[in-house]
Amino acid sequence: MKGLGVLSTFIKKEFRQIMRSREMLLVLFLLPAIQLLVMGFAVTNEVKHIDISFFDLDRSIQSRRLMEAFSSTDRFHLVEVGEQDRPELQLFRWKSKVVIVIPAGFERKLAQGRIPALQLLLDGIDGNTASIANAYVQSCVKGFTEGYLRGKDPRRVGYMLQGQKASEIIIQMSFNPDLQSNLNIIPGIIAVLVTVTSMLLSAISLVKEKELGTLEQLLVTPVKKYQLLIGKILPYLLITLLQLQVAVLLAGLIFGIRVAGSYWVLTLFSIVYLFTSLGFGIFISTRVESQQQAMFFSWFMMVIMILLSGFFVPVQNMPQGVRWVSFANPLTHYMTVLREIVVKGSGLMQLKEELLVLLGGGMLVFGFGILSFRKRV
Amino acid sequence: MIKTEELTRKFGDFIAVDHLNLQIVRGEIFGFLGANGAGKTTTIRMLCGLLMPSSGRIWVNNLDVAKEGEKVKKSIGYMSQRFSLYQDLKAKENLEFYAGVYATPRAEAWENTLPLLEQFGLKESLNMRTAELPMGYKQRLSLVCALVHNPPLVILDEPTSGVDPQARREFWQVINQLAFAGKTVLVSTHFMDEAEYCHRVIIMQAGKEVALGPPRELKQRFEVQNMQELFMKVAGGINAKLK
Ligand SMILES: Nc1ncnc2c1ncn2[C@@H]1O[C@H](COP(=O)(O)OP(=O)(O)OP(=O)(O)O)[C@@H](O)[C@H]1O
Ligand SMILES: [Mg+2]
Repeated sequence: MKGLGVLSTFIKKEFRQIMRSREMLLVLFLLPAIQLLVMGFAVTNEVKHIDISFFDLDRSIQSRRLMEAFSSTDRFHLVEVGEQDRPELQLFRWKSKVVIVIPAGFERKLAQGRIPALQLLLDGIDGNTASIANAYVQSCVKGFTEGYLRGKDPRRVGYMLQGQKASEIIIQMSFNPDLQSNLNIIPGIIAVLVTVTSMLLSAISLVKEKELGTLEQLLVTPVKKYQLLIGKILPYLLITLLQLQVAVLLAGLIFGIRVAGSYWVLTLFSIVYLFTSLGFGIFISTRVESQQQAMFFSWFMMVIMILLSGFFVPVQNMPQGVRWVSFANPLTHYMTVLREIVVKGSGLMQLKEELLVLLGGGMLVFGFGILSFRKRV
Repeated sequence: MIKTEELTRKFGDFIAVDHLNLQIVRGEIFGFLGANGAGKTTTIRMLCGLLMPSSGRIWVNNLDVAKEGEKVKKSIGYMSQRFSLYQDLKAKENLEFYAGVYATPRAEAWENTLPLLEQFGLKESLNMRTAELPMGYKQRLSLVCALVHNPPLVILDEPTSGVDPQARREFWQVINQLAFAGKTVLVSTHFMDEAEYCHRVIIMQAGKEVALGPPRELKQRFEVQNMQELFMKVAGGINAKLK
């Protein structure tokens, strides 16, 4: 009972300080708005007018049909190629982002019911655009195939161009049929936001006590370390959850994005994930002496986490080694989960593996933070 | 009330406190004197349980600080050398916070502090942000916060540095009242006139005790007129602040 009183004293004081600090309020409410607006509009995955060029070695009716399938959409912009041009140089000289080589015999193979191969060259500099362009290409080719097959005897041409792969990608896209980028980017931004707020604010607020000497004053009181830690950390857990609501609300207002899944599942996962980011915050605070250092290390940490999370570059596009690191990055999992919940509406049962991963990671990091705190403070 | 046995603290090779043996009784005003870096704060921090001794032992109220730190902490009111209240909270909110931290019921906390707040003229400023208080009032508030749980042992590390003579006088009035009420007061200072008000003082130099006893006795023993001269004589007094 007494312990609860001490805790509530801490929490009351922390909230008072937060409400009085202009910077804190800015971080809380303006940051989500700005991040959502700037990143939501700027980091767009919706790719239009991708420069594409064709090397048509077949010069047949069907090969021309295929090219028409690409020129009829505003996703692609056809770049003319001359006699001297070579497919690789086309990418190298930044003339196109996508090159398709239609091999000789394309039409013949099609008529014979064999699967003709198309060579696809993608500019991977921007991994996101490349993977999206890839998906567009697949869907254009599929459209073309379906058009070709229509009216033909299905038993005679009982195959599908590109086989499994095309249909697989189509399934993924069906949750976001227009590949509306916001739908994918916004949950990512929210995940980043949750990380930034919780890690940065908790690290700063803990170090501040150290820097101003108030921590020493607390350590001569009978307050136990766990009370001190909970009293300092819980307010930031609550604040971050509040900020999450603000962000979700803004995403709805600005981009018209609704959370497809359960709101409670979203909150549950956020709480679980917060153990990780708050744990990092605690850990950082025990290793530094000033608020500036805390800020520096938190940003450093966050940039690495964000880069390796699949926010900018899809995890599939990373080299194998980096992919392992990315798998060990809690933010990757949280981001995946947020996307699943917001876009697909996945429920707790579909996400239970991620829940275990996040729970395990959270306990590990948080435990580590507490140990470091106990040892160093 | 306090007893130390060969209390020593090293930082690496550097010995900040060197085999100190103290015995401080209930109701006593005990002064720590010494130049900058003499080891006053280090000693005090060990007495409060903020710092572990490298060797030696400490008892507060017959409790071993190393073993029963938690119990000891309840009986100590500590005012650190550095001002360390929350500047962005109101004066009143700081008081409430420390009352809460010591789990002192609100009514009791007011009972403990109200007379002091009135004496210090702080009652009118309770709703001011701590940052806006003048230096002297910040120090007064620190002292009140240290007394919010009515501790039997009060440890003040240079409470009067940076405050005006009026405030210093008030501080010493309060210190005397506390001792009169049966509390033990440990106070470190650079002011030799303040040393005269202590029941007993220790003069430290480079972590060692160079003189220990009641001011009057020490003055006789070293054949000096006042504490200032005494300090110059035993501690070289190179860094002693003059007022
Ligand atoms: N954490 C620490 N690490 C290393 N050295 C320290 C540490 N704390 C104190 N010291 C050293 O111990 C010595 C004694 O310091 P202390 O603060 O106890 O002196 P003091 O008598 O309180 O001086 P002042 O009058 O300046 O407050 C100083 O030389 C100081 O540099
Ligand atoms: Mg000192």
